[in-house]
Amino acid sequence: MSILEVDAVKKIYTTRFGGNPVQALSNVSFKVEEGEYVAIMGESGSGKTTLLNILAALDRPTAGNIRLDGRELSGIKESQMAAFRRDNLGFVFQEFNLLDTFSLEDNIYLPLVLAGKSPSEMKSRLEPIAEQLHITKLLKKYPYEVSGGQKQRAAVARALITSPRLILADEPTGALDSKSTDELLCMFEEINRKGQTILMVTHSVKAASHAGRVLFIKDGEVYHQIYRGSCTENEFYQKISDTLTVLAAGGERL
Amino acid sequence: MKKGIYRKLALSGIRKNSRLYLPYILTCAGTVMMCYIISFLSQSSEFGKIPGGNTVQGFLSVGIGVMAVFSLIFLFYTNSFLIRRRKKELGLYNILGLGKRNLAAVLAAETLTVALVSIAGGLLSGILFSKLSELCLVRILGGSAKFTFTVSYASVVMTAVQFAGIFLVIYLYTLLQIRLTNPIGLLKSESTGEKPPKANWIGAIIGILILGAAYYTALSVEDPVTAITVFFFAVVMVIIATYLLFISGSVTLCRILQKNKRYYYKTNHFVSVSSMAYRMKRNGAGLASICILCTMVLVMISSTVCLYAGKEDSLRQRYPRNINLDAAVSSTALLDGPQTERVKQIIEETASENGASPENILEYGCAAFGGVIEGEKIIYDSSVYENRLDKMDEVWQIFIVSLDDYNRLMGQNETLSSGETLIYTTKEVPYDNNTIRIGDGETLTVKKRVNDFADNGVDSMQIFPTLYLFVPDFDAVVNPIAGARSDDDIGLVSLHWYYGFDLDCADDTQIEIQNRITEKTAELEKTDEEFSYFHMITEGVAKERADFYGLYGGLFFLGILLGLVFISAAVLIIYYKQISEGYEDQSRFEIMRKVGMTKREIQGSINSQVLTVFFMPLIASGIHLAFAFPIIRKMLMIFGLVNLPFLVAATAVCYLIFAAFYLVVYRATSRSYYRLVSGMRNDNL
Repeated sequence: MSILEVDAVKKIYTTRFGGNPVQALSNVSFKVEEGEYVAIMGESGSGKTTLLNILAALDRPTAGNIRLDGRELSGIKESQMAAFRRDNLGFVFQEFNLLDTFSLEDNIYLPLVLAGKSPSEMKSRLEPIAEQLHITKLLKKYPYEVSGGQKQRAAVARALITSPRLILADEPTGALDSKSTDELLCMFEEINRKGQTILMVTHSVKAASHAGRVLFIKDGEVYHQIYRGSCTENEFYQKISDTLTVLAAGGERL
Repeated sequence: MKKGIYRKLALSGIRKNSRLYLPYILTCAGTVMMCYIISFLSQSSEFGKIPGGNTVQGFLSVGIGVMAVFSLIFLFYTNSFLIRRRKKELGLYNILGLGKRNLAAVLAAETLTVALVSIAGGLLSGILFSKLSELCLVRILGGSAKFTFTVSYASVVMTAVQFAGIFLVIYLYTLLQIRLTNPIGLLKSESTGEKPPKANWIGAIIGILILGAAYYTALSVEDPVTAITVFFFAVVMVIIATYLLFISGSVTLCRILQKNKRYYYKTNHFVSVSSMAYRMKRNGAGLASICILCTMVLVMISSTVCLYAGKEDSLRQRYPRNINLDAAVSSTALLDGPQTERVKQIIEETASENGASPENILEYGCAAFGGVIEGEKIIYDSSVYENRLDKMDEVWQIFIVSLDDYNRLMGQNETLSSGETLIYTTKEVPYDNNTIRIGDGETLTVKKRVNDFADNGVDSMQIFPTLYLFVPDFDAVVNPIAGARSDDDIGLVSLHWYYGFDLDCADDTQIEIQNRITEKTAELEKTDEEFSYFHMITEGVAKERADFYGLYGGLFFLGILLGLVFISAAVLIIYYKQISEGYEDQSRFEIMRKVGMTKREIQGSINSQVLTVFFMPLIASGIHLAFAFPIIRKMLMIFGLVNLPFLVAATAVCYLIFAAFYLVVYRATSRSYYRLVSGMRNDNL
């Protein structure tokens, strides 16, 4: 069964002063299977962020349905939405979004504290994840004391610690240097290999080339998708670049 | 570049930041208004003519100085808030091609606008309200005023010049700030990262110790003289301790709470505790200032309110009867000699000439002297304690009164044998020994301590406590010391005959009677040889009331006025705090929401933080006030205010009114805080 089903999602923004409505998403449909690693690519303004916000239930679609684990997102009450998001979704952002008032450890604990877990359980959950992400020694530090890559790893740990059904990543490498980018992407692959489903929005070809499947969005629609299949990373990279070139040239549907 | 552009940029800058500038301009105008009013009242010749007006004007001219210093500091402080917020905008202008010189011109146009608007507005409202405040003040003094409206040009010019100077200083300081930063610095100044605060154990512990010492000092003060001398030190200690506790104590407390995992890792506490540590590091000093301002306002207002509301009480203490005649005599024989009868006769005659008769008569003789009590010995040689600061809190005023007079005046029936005495002490200072000896004289046994005696005005005039000795054999006790003289040949012990009485007639008549008595007794002293050792002074309530009201009313008025100014200062600081925190919390809010907190949870946590930050100063100042109360009470005793329930009630009422006012301010400012914080997208939540 698909873990995420997006069916004919449409989003129209109307500005506050009743100006022209803007169509951010016209008709988006796709599915994500359990254990998949999917990248969504598109240029600025193509509707990527809108789509991610809708998937994250931070925003509601104007039309269409989204089902996570077969459960209709629009059917979840406002009051339960935050808890639902906390339990089922993990987020990784471009700007890390760590709270500067917390140490890395406390930042990672935040979703668990909100879920009312006991200190001992939190600790036992954190240990393997911190080990895997190589941040065990950094846990007592504050965000301002560590590098961007380390911050992002802490943010990944925060996303993983609730064992979510799906991880949503929004340009996770956008604010990182190339070395940290490589490290992070490797970690994503490793996490995915252990069975974690990941959906990543990016416009970095390099980031996308680590995924198992790439969806291309243009003008609010899923324009095309390609599978990695048995390609090597480099071959897949080439394939993605070619596709983007064709897309940019305004070519017909491939 | 076109000249008009600076003005345009300046005006649009002010308009776009109206949330910041409006309160600033209002405060500036308010401060200008207060300065004008105080200056106007202190110079108004019409007001000076009112009975007591002179006294008030004396106070007000002190007030002018206080206001001048205060407005400089305060406007400086608020302006630095503004500049910090606007640096980004200025940096942008800088990058877009406005040189520092051009920026200076924009800022000049801006400062000029603010200065013009606030000085003009302030003076205008000052002129409007000056009459109102004059009428209030006249009413406080119990006089009557004409309804003529005047404008004091001298005050207008003085206030305008004063504030023009303040704005100039502020402008120069801003320029210096701009000059010292580069454009990138200007752009980023708001978002420079900050170290997490560390627990400062030493600071916290020192703070607690100092506060404890200050409170202990305040509580352990026994007599008014000590109260005055230690008050200043206690205040300084409290100020230091408040700063230490707010800055490091609060962070340390947060850290302790964080160590307790069971407490810390709870939804309600997790976010609040850790962000409180940050908030307190930044705002500790500001909150401590607010706390101290609040305490100052409370102490000032509650004590002046007590003084003003209790003015009839203290008037009565100072002048126990409507008219009081005090005759200093040279020997005990004169205390009940024919002279006293003559004087009583004169008083009787004078009163009846004016259609009144003396009633409620208070008459007694006594021996009075000052002295230091060491052990059980009263040392009355003034050279022992005069000009000795270290002996100040051991000085007593001593009165020896005969037991007969005591029994008669107080309606008691005490009996004593020779060598025994009753004692009564004032200002709540106890005398603990069971025996007492005057100089090297006979040792008297204290048979009983009584709690009251007729006032004679002397006690309320001085800061020292009074010890009354009621002895059965007055002459035997007094005669041996009556002739004592100091090394400089000044009489140490004086003998007095008091004669006070009430009159049931109008104040004017009372003053007339008092004047006539004064004339006649002076005549008597000059012409009659029998009176050459019988010097009389006459005092009356009616005649002194205006001065008394002037003193207390003036203090009261100034207390309220400065209280208002300080309160508005505190309010503005609080407002700017809320605003600048709102900007910071915006992004934090957004993150928490993305991580999975509901809006309700976020608001709950923010709410509790804001509430704590806001009400901590109020609560702390309440505690300060409570501990300051005993010491304030001792000082008010000097003014003859001894009514404890009244003082407690007045202070409590002041605090409650203040708290209510504070609550209103909180409501108003927290609304703009929430508007800022919820500027995030919340349409779908």
